[in-house]
Amino acid sequence: MIPELGHIILITHLILCLIGGTMPLLAEYTGLKIFQIPIKKLSVFLFLLISISFLSLVYSFLVDDFSVAYVAQNSNINLPDYYKFAATWGAHEGSLVLWILAMNAWIVGFLFFTHAKDRDFLASVFSISCQVMFAFSLFTLFTSNPFERILPIPPLNGADLNPSLQDFAFTVHPPLLYFGYSGLLIPFAIAVSAMLFSKETKEWAAYSRPWTLFSCSFLTLGIGLGSWWAYYELGWGGWWFWDPVENAAFVPWLLSVALFHSLITSQNRGIFGKWSILLSIFAFATSLLGTFLVRSGILTSVHAFALDPERGLFILGILAFFIIGSLMIYSIKDFEHGEDKAYALTSKEFGFLLNNLLLVVLAVSILFGTIFPLIYEAVTNGKQISVGAPYFEIILFPFAIGLGLLQGVALYLSWEKSTSFDFVSRLLIESTSIFALIVLVLFVLFDNLYLNSFATIFLASWIAVGTLQVSKKRNLGYWDFLRKRLSVTLAHLGMAILVLGVGVVSSYSLEKEIILAPDDSIKFGDQVVKFESIEDSLGPNYFSKKAVISFDDGKDVSNLITEKRTYSPSGQLTTEAGIETEIFKDLYISMGDNLEDDIWSFKIQIKPFIRWIWLGALLISLGSFLAGIKQIRRLV
Amino acid sequence: MNPIRKQRLYALIAILLGSLLATWLVVSALSENMNLFYSPTEMKEANINQDVLIRAGGMVKPGSIIKSKESLNVSFIVTDYQNELVINYQGILPDLFAENAGVVVRGNLGSDGNFNAIEVLAKHDENYMPPEVAKLIDNKK
Repeated sequence: MIPELGHIILITHLILCLIGGTMPLLAEYTGLKIFQIPIKKLSVFLFLLISISFLSLVYSFLVDDFSVAYVAQNSNINLPDYYKFAATWGAHEGSLVLWILAMNAWIVGFLFFTHAKDRDFLASVFSISCQVMFAFSLFTLFTSNPFERILPIPPLNGADLNPSLQDFAFTVHPPLLYFGYSGLLIPFAIAVSAMLFSKETKEWAAYSRPWTLFSCSFLTLGIGLGSWWAYYELGWGGWWFWDPVENAAFVPWLLSVALFHSLITSQNRGIFGKWSILLSIFAFATSLLGTFLVRSGILTSVHAFALDPERGLFILGILAFFIIGSLMIYSIKDFEHGEDKAYALTSKEFGFLLNNLLLVVLAVSILFGTIFPLIYEAVTNGKQISVGAPYFEIILFPFAIGLGLLQGVALYLSWEKSTSFDFVSRLLIESTSIFALIVLVLFVLFDNLYLNSFATIFLASWIAVGTLQVSKKRNLGYWDFLRKRLSVTLAHLGMAILVLGVGVVSSYSLEKEIILAPDDSIKFGDQVVKFESIEDSLGPNYFSKKAVISFDDGKDVSNLITEKRTYSPSGQLTTEAGIETEIFKDLYISMGDNLEDDIWSFKIQIKPFIRWIWLGALLISLGSFLAGIKQIRRLV
Repeated sequence: MNPIRKQRLYALIAILLGSLLATWLVVSALSENMNLFYSPTEMKEANINQDVLIRAGGMVKPGSIIKSKESLNVSFIVTDYQNELVINYQGILPDLFAENAGVVVRGNLGSDGNFNAIEVLAKHDENYMPPEVAKLIDNKK
């Protein structure tokens, strides 16, 4: 009964989305009152519907209703309750429902936190959002219905949730990403409405800014969590693989960052109007493209969960419809596109222009590398290639340098023209001193210097000094600082910390694959690594071999536990890494193969500063979230 | 020049320079980091430069996995059900590596006709098959 209820409610949601997607626009163009609908109420009602539909799916998981095909494929009687709950979005069908729920939540948020002076404009944004939700609901119902039953004979037990997904970070990572992706719907709907209504650039940019910031905040957190999860759960200590699906999230992230910076200019100066509109469209497009890449399984990826060309085509259809549609409006409609104002090369405007140029070209290059295998296959008639991680690293490096250098000076610039450049010498001196200090600390900590990390370490110091100096220079009181500069300081400082983490971890890491029998030990860096013991152990839905390994650096001894688990329903193996976290480094061990008796192979690693990457991401996310709230408070 | 034209010119120059730099980067980085995929059958037919990194793949042949007891050396055979290819690897294999599982390896073709892998990929969903391998099997059916 409950799954049918969820199904019917999802259909109701679909129909109401169609009404919400057409009525307000009809009302606008015909001027007839009968088409006017209460959009706020409808948005809340839609949200309730999609929530009930989602909850009925959750319910089916919690009560082990294996007659529902999706539950049977992704759950199991022995799965702990928390994971049964999280399994709701463990695969394609449930993810889509959550995705629609996220879009709906953003729309409700937008309608309630944007002042209703211009009701027609709000109605149009609502209408376009409803059209997108309609397309997604249609997609869900026709190609990926989560409520489909296996009748007449349902299986007695489910196939289980993929073991590597049975983990806390994983359960939070997809929802955050979905909220991030789907948040880009709001700037898109605003951009299209701005064209339709020929809205003044300054005004619509102000509406769009907070939602772009929120979206960016969620994307940052989602990507960061995914990276953290890959680090400890996949068992090999990597934190970024340049996998197509990671890129599919990274590209919209880059564009959302570009967009909110461009929107600052549009809102304050009334320029970059057309550019901001195009960026809004393409940021949304890449978030859909991301879905397409993940769902169609056309690229070799660790995430490809559904190899179904029909789904891929459907999403491509949705993408084409909305992108071509909005670009047609862009080219046909003569909309207001802001002012023409002069600005010098030393102005803030030009800084934002460079920022956008670098971010967008970087995004395009990464996107190109990601889909190049598809292009190549099409052109050469089926020859298959992959583009390796070095491609992306070579591309990223110069852009990162450019963006970092710009970020260090960006906050000093003034609108129209900067007049004073005294800051340059101070910035240079201070960031060089910080750089020297960091290198010294690294030398003391790890007894080594790596020249190839110098560029990134300097960049990190440059960004940090640039950020903190401006905040100091403005002579703000404590309270004013919190109110005016906190968000940007947090976000830019987060970037400095992230850059530092990336620079240090990529040069100072040590790793080695070894073979040990119990009581054997081996020297590794300044550590003596010893295989203490091994035992069998039993979990709720797996059994495992648990090895205790000690790391002794002469002062402290840490005992790390690593496991090789075999999950019972699927027989799938997973490795649980043993990690000891310190401020400046992680000790990391993962169990490899059993050679004979109790002799095992292990991979041991020392990962300096790796936590700083995620700390940086967390600060960026927090900073952009606070900035979003600040913008909303200005609007209400 | 009036200031607005001047600033348009700056913007244009910046965009041109940026895209030129990016295109150059993309082309040079791509030509060095593009790894072609070969099935065991294609591997036999094609004339492959041993210095170039390539990828190969197929299903792991049952009973073909030979693990050393003293080192991390391992060898196994991948098959596309027409031809076979011996893969040598030194290192820890991924958890999902198993007989009859689809794998993709990256490395060089050795002078003895065996493949020396520097990376072995078996993806983290047990039902998942790398698209290249799935295509191979589809073609043979």
